[in-house]
Amino acid sequence: MPTTQTDISSPPPLSVRRRLFAVIPTRTAAMLSRFSLSMWLGAGLLIFYVGIALLSLFWTPHDPAMPGVGPSYASPSWAFPLGTDRLGTDLLSRLMAGTRYDLGISLVAVFLSFSIGTFLGTISGYFGGMIDSVIMRMVEIFQAFPALLFAMLIVQTIGAGVVNVIAVLAFVGMPDYLRLARGEVRSRRDWQYAEAARLVGNNSWGIAFKHILPNCLGPLLAFTSINAAFAVLVIASLGFLGIGLSPDTPEWGNMIARGQDGIMTGQWWVSLFPGVAILGMTGAFYLLGDALSDLFDPRRRT
Amino acid sequence: MTDPILKISSFSGGFAKETGDVTQILYDVSYALERGKLTAVVGETGSGKSVTALSVLGLHPPSFRHISGSICFDGIDLTSVDARELHKLRGSRISMVFQDARAALNPVFTIGRQLADTYRLHHGGSRRAAMEHAIEALRRVHIPEPESRAKQYPHEFSGGMAQRAMIAMAALICTPDLLILDEPTTGLDVTTQAEIMDLVLGLARERALTVCLITHDLGVVAETCDHVVVMNRGHVVETGSTEQIFTAPQNDYTQRLLAASQLSEAAE
Amino acid sequence: MKTYPKNYPIVQVRNLQKHFPVGRGQKLHAIDGVDFDLQPGRTVALVGESGSGKSTVARCIMRLIEPSAGDVILHGNSILPLTPLQMVEKYRQLQMVFQDPNASLNPRMKVRKVLEEPLKLHSHLNAAQRTTRLNELIEMVGLTVAHLDRYPHEMSGGQRQRVGIARALAINPEVVLLDEPTASLDVSVRGQILALLKELQVKLNLAFLFISHDLPVVRHVADEVAVMYLGRIVEQGPTEDIFHNPRHPYTRALISAAPVAEWGVTRKRVRLDGEISTPIDPPAACRLSGRCPIEQPSCSTRDMPLQEIGADHRVACPFAVEQFPERATG
Repeated sequence: MPTTQTDISSPPPLSVRRRLFAVIPTRTAAMLSRFSLSMWLGAGLLIFYVGIALLSLFWTPHDPAMPGVGPSYASPSWAFPLGTDRLGTDLLSRLMAGTRYDLGISLVAVFLSFSIGTFLGTISGYFGGMIDSVIMRMVEIFQAFPALLFAMLIVQTIGAGVVNVIAVLAFVGMPDYLRLARGEVRSRRDWQYAEAARLVGNNSWGIAFKHILPNCLGPLLAFTSINAAFAVLVIASLGFLGIGLSPDTPEWGNMIARGQDGIMTGQWWVSLFPGVAILGMTGAFYLLGDALSDLFDPRRRT
Repeated sequence: MTDPILKISSFSGGFAKETGDVTQILYDVSYALERGKLTAVVGETGSGKSVTALSVLGLHPPSFRHISGSICFDGIDLTSVDARELHKLRGSRISMVFQDARAALNPVFTIGRQLADTYRLHHGGSRRAAMEHAIEALRRVHIPEPESRAKQYPHEFSGGMAQRAMIAMAALICTPDLLILDEPTTGLDVTTQAEIMDLVLGLARERALTVCLITHDLGVVAETCDHVVVMNRGHVVETGSTEQIFTAPQNDYTQRLLAASQLSEAAE
Repeated sequence: MKTYPKNYPIVQVRNLQKHFPVGRGQKLHAIDGVDFDLQPGRTVALVGESGSGKSTVARCIMRLIEPSAGDVILHGNSILPLTPLQMVEKYRQLQMVFQDPNASLNPRMKVRKVLEEPLKLHSHLNAAQRTTRLNELIEMVGLTVAHLDRYPHEMSGGQRQRVGIARALAINPEVVLLDEPTASLDVSVRGQILALLKELQVKLNLAFLFISHDLPVVRHVADEVAVMYLGRIVEQGPTEDIFHNPRHPYTRALISAAPVAEWGVTRKRVRLDGEISTPIDPPAACRLSGRCPIEQPSCSTRDMPLQEIGADHRVACPFAVEQFPERATG
């Protein structure tokens, strides 16, 4: 094809972003230029949270678990930037340590629900028939309960603790992936490349997981982000209700619960800062999820 | 040569990329459509035949940029008129039939309703009179039982029937001077293709319509058209009467295309 | 390359039928009793318009869908009772090229991976031997080694179809079913792909089933033609016989409607009335009844079996011989 760059009378003005990308190799730039503002914001915030979580492993201003490092209910100051709670633990240190729990638990749970849900959904979507009916009826039963209520019920039954909370979250999140994967796989099951894959010697598993699934991952990956935001909320809710992690764990929901007595008496900081942290993290996940689903939207592909 | 109804002169254009650069796809395209004649614009994928024709109606994709040249329709330069004026020309003086008729028809209205609405848009009158015109138009394009067919929805029509309805709309309900057909028979069965071309030919003769047939299929052209414009990679490589193009093609590409269409060994 | 006696039928298709249930006890007769043989080095073309069931025939032979009745015999043995695992073995001899190379190549796989897959799954070649075979394959279909590292979307339609052909030939099959291999290609590319197929057929002594709606192409490539209409073969015979002396009214209509890219050819058109009738529970009648220009009263009351009217030339119309006595113009 003869392609030439032609000057026309009024070229559209180059945006700042475009000029910024002028220094980056073309292919990368083309990819980056598709990232929207919400992508940058969401990803930036998340990287910030991950940084804090990592940092808290090595350093926090004070020991997050040690009561009495300061006076009870000290208001924010240079020594205690976010103040202290009733027991005199440093809020900033606890908040930093809490990032590990809220982020870590939600990511592990999301990874688990993604893997299990996608696996079962692919089987259900590709094979159909009895397997599909059985899997889908089970999913419908689970989804008949509101997810948060369901999570509370199970945690109450099996008891608190990090592993149990992860298990519950993975379980509650899994049906959405399953449905999504099932739909995507089903719609591609009769594509010609699936038939072609059979003729070159693949069995059904090979076709489903090697050929069809990789083409379905976009929307599933975009959903992980939305799911993670939900997971953070559930962790914090369980913590707030005192049925998630043990009450002295520096988890954000726990911290809000611990500070709720102070709200009436003027110690607003104890509950406010964990709340802001939760808001920031769910916001980041939602922004990212929104941007990713735009990015993976087949209608936007050329 | 009499004054042609449409004259495209040195028309160049391209597609704007995200970076703002323009990739040129049309290079000094020039051809003219003579009044009352059937002209075929022939080319393969990427030849620019469709984009040129869509530009006539201002229906080119939004990323298309006009670089230079003009499209002159009956004394009006279409590249300089504003959108409203172009809109007025569309349908009333120039109309177009697309490849996929079922996609071009609105799935939620009956065929008769769509034809009748279009009729009222251009000619006014009562609903009832418009519907009578719609049914008459369907009859004229040989749709059996037009009264009951008019009450059906596009998905109840086969591809060939839908294309007939589109032709009824473009050539009979609208009463244009120029009818542009963009690959009207591609994707249809051979027997249906032949019937659609017969229909177009009949209507064109009867109403002295100027027809521009955009196609990749030289086979359809040989029997039906008066003139042929051959396009390749954004250039017009040869124009001439159908006889001349088929019996004594001058351009190298035309010769190759013809050989390939006839499946003669020279094509290999 | 194995050698076979003359006229050895590698594949025999016998009374093949496929009926899809469409609810309320009704059945869509996609294929209704189709017979033909495929022989090494020869091309049989299956011609028909949309809805004729020609693509379903290929899918049934490959058992991508299960035929309702009839038999597909490969080297003397029926392949219909085979389990999916045993069927995979048969794909070493039986391969298929799809119509739309866009849809039949996995968009996330580079050409190398596409072509390596059959070698990994069907052969015991080691990595080095596979690379040798890949290079050989890609050059055999007229591409270069550089194409191995491209994605399908980085290639033209013709190049993609070459990859589709290479994939089918990777494990040296004896029979290749070609499902409209040139329908989605530009005319100039079409010629090249047809030439490539012809060259490969001679070189590898392949048996081809060429499924197409494009009559000029069929005339160009086929040794034998079977014309399908509504799930049945209505006329079958040597290519030149079919094109010079078509007997069945449908064949005549089809041939007379095909556009010819030549100046001064006027076709004597045989026209059919109306549109193709429904394939759902068709009555025991000639499938063309209601559209046929030479219809007789008895046409709508009984089935019309294929009858031998010349050397290997069969027609499913007892009136065709008398009604069209003159040779068609051609």
